[in-house]
Amino acid sequence: MSEAVVETRNLSKVYRDFWGRQKVRALKALDLEVRRGEIFGLLGPNGSGKTTTMKLLLGLLFPTGGEALVFGKPATDVRKNERIGYLPEESYLYRFLNAEETLDFYGRLFDMPAATRRERTKQLIDMVGLSNAKRRPLREYSKGMTRRIGLAQALINDPELIMLDEPTSGLDPIGTREIKDLILKLREQGKTVLLSSHLLADVQDVCDRIAILHHGELKELGRVDSLLTIGDETVVRAAGLSDAAKREIQAVIERHHGSLVSMGNPTTTLEELFLKIVHDSTARPGRRITGSGPGESN
Amino acid sequence: MVIDTELLPFFIWLPLALGSWLKVTGILCAVAILFSYLVAAVRNGPVRGAQLVGAGLRGGIADLVFLSPRRTFALARLAIQESLHRRVLVAFALFAVILLFATWYLDEATDNPARLYLSFVLTTTTYLVLLMALFLSVFSLPNDIANRTLYTISTKPVRPSELVLGRMLGFALVGTVLLTVMGAVSYVFVLRGLSHRHEILPQKVTSAGDSQAAGPTSGRTELAQNHHHDFQLDADGRGRTDVAQGHWHSVQVVRDGDRVTYEVGPPQGALTARVPIYGKLSFKDRTGTPTQKGYNVGNEWTYRSFIEGGTLSAAIWHFSGLQAEMFPNGLPIEMTIRVFRTHKGDISKGILGRLVLRNPETGLSAPTPFVAKEYSTDLQMIPLELTDDQGKKVKLFGDLVTPAGQLDIQMQCLELEQYFGMAQPDLYLRARDASFTTNFIKGYVGIWLQMLLVVGAGVMLSTFLNGAVAMLATFAMMLAGSFVTTIRQLAFGELPGGGPVEAAVRIFTQRNLTTKLEPSVTTQAINLFDEGFRGALKTLLAVLPDFTSLSDTDYVVHGFDIPGDMLLTHVVTTLAYLVPIFVAAFLFFRTREVAR
Repeated sequence: MSEAVVETRNLSKVYRDFWGRQKVRALKALDLEVRRGEIFGLLGPNGSGKTTTMKLLLGLLFPTGGEALVFGKPATDVRKNERIGYLPEESYLYRFLNAEETLDFYGRLFDMPAATRRERTKQLIDMVGLSNAKRRPLREYSKGMTRRIGLAQALINDPELIMLDEPTSGLDPIGTREIKDLILKLREQGKTVLLSSHLLADVQDVCDRIAILHHGELKELGRVDSLLTIGDETVVRAAGLSDAAKREIQAVIERHHGSLVSMGNPTTTLEELFLKIVHDSTARPGRRITGSGPGESN
Repeated sequence: MVIDTELLPFFIWLPLALGSWLKVTGILCAVAILFSYLVAAVRNGPVRGAQLVGAGLRGGIADLVFLSPRRTFALARLAIQESLHRRVLVAFALFAVILLFATWYLDEATDNPARLYLSFVLTTTTYLVLLMALFLSVFSLPNDIANRTLYTISTKPVRPSELVLGRMLGFALVGTVLLTVMGAVSYVFVLRGLSHRHEILPQKVTSAGDSQAAGPTSGRTELAQNHHHDFQLDADGRGRTDVAQGHWHSVQVVRDGDRVTYEVGPPQGALTARVPIYGKLSFKDRTGTPTQKGYNVGNEWTYRSFIEGGTLSAAIWHFSGLQAEMFPNGLPIEMTIRVFRTHKGDISKGILGRLVLRNPETGLSAPTPFVAKEYSTDLQMIPLELTDDQGKKVKLFGDLVTPAGQLDIQMQCLELEQYFGMAQPDLYLRARDASFTTNFIKGYVGIWLQMLLVVGAGVMLSTFLNGAVAMLATFAMMLAGSFVTTIRQLAFGELPGGGPVEAAVRIFTQRNLTTKLEPSVTTQAINLFDEGFRGALKTLLAVLPDFTSLSDTDYVVHGFDIPGDMLLTHVVTTLAYLVPIFVAAFLFFRTREVAR
């Protein structure tokens, strides 16, 4: 089993007001593990604790209880950032800089020498397709372009772990497809990707494993393929059948010389699973992991 | 110019200042560590609390030690770009506009236009630059937190120390450039504003001799900038005017055949940087007995003491370290004397006085009479050869100044029932003049130091306060820092009327400031509370920068050279504040959550 890149133990976060009174328990005793080379999705409705988890892992927030470890170090240690790339929910960049200046600036923050910065900047701008707009200040960018430059800055240091907060929000279908392809390409390069999203189709397409959060609690955790498998049903996929044959299909496929393409368990869509979990969780609050734990897959 | 605190030489001041700096920062560190431990112990238990504080300290020190210059400068550059984006140049445009219209309102007829012009440009620059520094520094971090641009930066390997230092450096650099440009523009503005020539019409020149060609000639120039000068020419046709509005001109006769014209040079002596040598002042009362203070003529302000005319009462300045090479042309004594008349006398005439130069070892003395000029500075040039009390010739250096370079200058008022008032800096030897340009730059260094302090404090306070509150807090620091003297008097109970409760009691019971409160339990309670208040003020004084004292623009305005020791003292003082401000800023920022 490959090493854990991200690990949380009993991680909790309570938001307090100025007087220290508890406002919200945003995260309750979260145990997670993200291993090297996988694409891990954090799923949940708005306010479920996805972004809080990510901010805790980035050290932008301090945990109220438990531990958040990244590369085995506490998340508040800045040195871990050398190996991390982060794309915030909205690309929070300086709007008076242009694309080149932006990447150069973030490159400097990684203490990269000038030659490396120039090379990386050019490479990334080409990769995200902003070559024609690289001299325009970011305030003139469309949402999709801002997202692309945001992604480019997250990759400036060639990170081992990439955290993407809602990576496809605000993108058109083509843009979404490109981002998903890029995420898969990153996995091919051996990178670990942790993404949060409420766009279920995206998660279903790219993630190896997912965690579903609701009201700050972990509700489901496991491999996407096994989570979406329905064990007590069978599906048969067939082709080249006449209408008459279809009527009797369950009993007589073989007898009518139809060709059997596949036979196995049917899968539900992630959307259905998600809605079911949210519904269950609202009906019966409390911590619950119905799926397999972190050690089950791989 | 009023100088009410004595300047210590830098290397005597430094160990004293360093000692108190170490004491205050040490106490602050101890308090900070203790406080963090208490909070951590309450939240996590005593042992875990200690571990957390220990880890925090180690991390904090690592953050300070492993600062990356490249990251710091990248952040400084960003701060500069942000300043430009936030239209920092508006401050300069405003300055330019103010200067363009200033000449309409600056009164040319004033006694000393140089003083007016200099105080105008220096004040304007100070306010504009400090305001700009305030606005830039306090809104930057809170804006980045509100816009969440800080998320993207904080998730890079940027240490909190770099983030804070980068910002401070960036804004300081913007302020420096702005101040330099404003300084250069001001310099040209002052020079051009004061520049003028006078015409001399030949018919207004009278000659003492038979013809204009020979003998001394005198006359009066035409009006320019609301004043004119009287002048005298020697036999060669060269001379100079008298001093009016703080300056004089050279005058020269130009002959072209039979035509005689007069060429008047540019104004001189308006922009000076006098290097004074001060003596120690002591007094004698009317019977001739030495005292520390002179008479009080009823002024509330006790800065100046008075001597009584027609008696043995005298003010004596004790000078030391005088050498003949410093004064090749005689001893230039400059003095500004207050005159207090108990009766009008002849109002058109000045009050008579005399200066007695006295050898403190042999007692040999030589008097020089003078007429006190009220409300202006008078220059008495004492020649190298004088006549003593007995009418014998004495040498200034050799007879009057001791071999160790000591000399007493005694001032007496000669008219009965009239008084002269003086403070120690009111009489000095004008040893030489330093370069005005250098002094002007030194004046700007003082403003620069204030600007650095505002930037540092602004960034520091904005690490844990939102922009508007941080601005108010920084402004409050500047304001309180401008009243350090009053706060000190309050803290040490030197102001009549007592502390806040005692003062309130006096107001409501309509008692005057000086009657004692009758001893009672209530009075004790009042004193206890006021003592607590004074304690709080003393604590505040230990950390509050004496903001106004950092800038020495008064020296430039009044034409005195800013002593190098003083400038150095202020530079080191500012640094002494900036270091803990930076550390505090970084610690505040390190212990806060960037996200919400």
